[in-house]
Amino acid sequence: MRAEKFISPDEDYFEDHFPGFPVVPGVLLTEMMGQAAGKSLDAEKVPRGKSMLAKIKSAVFREWVRPGSTVELLAEIKSSRPEFATASCQAKVQGKVVASAELFLTFVPINDFSPAYRDVILEEYLLKHPSSGK
Amino acid sequence: MKMNTETALKWIAEVFNESPGGITPETNREDIPEWDSLGVLTLMADLDEKFDILLTADQMGAMTKVNDILEVLQQHQKLSPAN
Repeated sequence: MRAEKFISPDEDYFEDHFPGFPVVPGVLLTEMMGQAAGKSLDAEKVPRGKSMLAKIKSAVFREWVRPGSTVELLAEIKSSRPEFATASCQAKVQGKVVASAELFLTFVPINDFSPAYRDVILEEYLLKHPSSGK
Repeated sequence: MKMNTETALKWIAEVFNESPGGITPETNREDIPEWDSLGVLTLMADLDEKFDILLTADQMGAMTKVNDILEVLQQHQKLSPAN
């Protein structure tokens, strides 16, 4: 799975992280990687609920990510079971690895979500790639 | 890969973030704070990844003490006989 996220210079967290040295917080990079892995799992269309990040097994932050960067997110699913999944993920900027993480995900029953909930990004992706998923 | 009971207990302690000597086969689930729903999933994942043992949620839920985990390893021939 490959995803992209443009880091707008207007993001409000840059004001505090850090004043005079704005960089994307590591936890947000981890969340981005987790969501990329999650989308990959949800695209499998296994009826087990929606994937959610449950545990960060390890995370490394190698380079600062500055405002105006485009982050490339890569997620490789290592195991995908009915109750859990694991993923190896990377975040890159201009081809250089800026962060990596080993993540553990679980699944939340879809009934726990609001009835109006839709994963628009996943729906659009599956419309364009109908052969994806199981 | 087979291991002895001592090594197995160290592995189980690591799964649940307990000190290496902190658990015994008789330690109950309720005495291990991180043997919660996430701990169960972590154990399932480790059994899968390290030992190729895949258990169902029901099988995991039936475990009430550390010895139950050792028995699973034993049943799958991952535990050396006691010296």
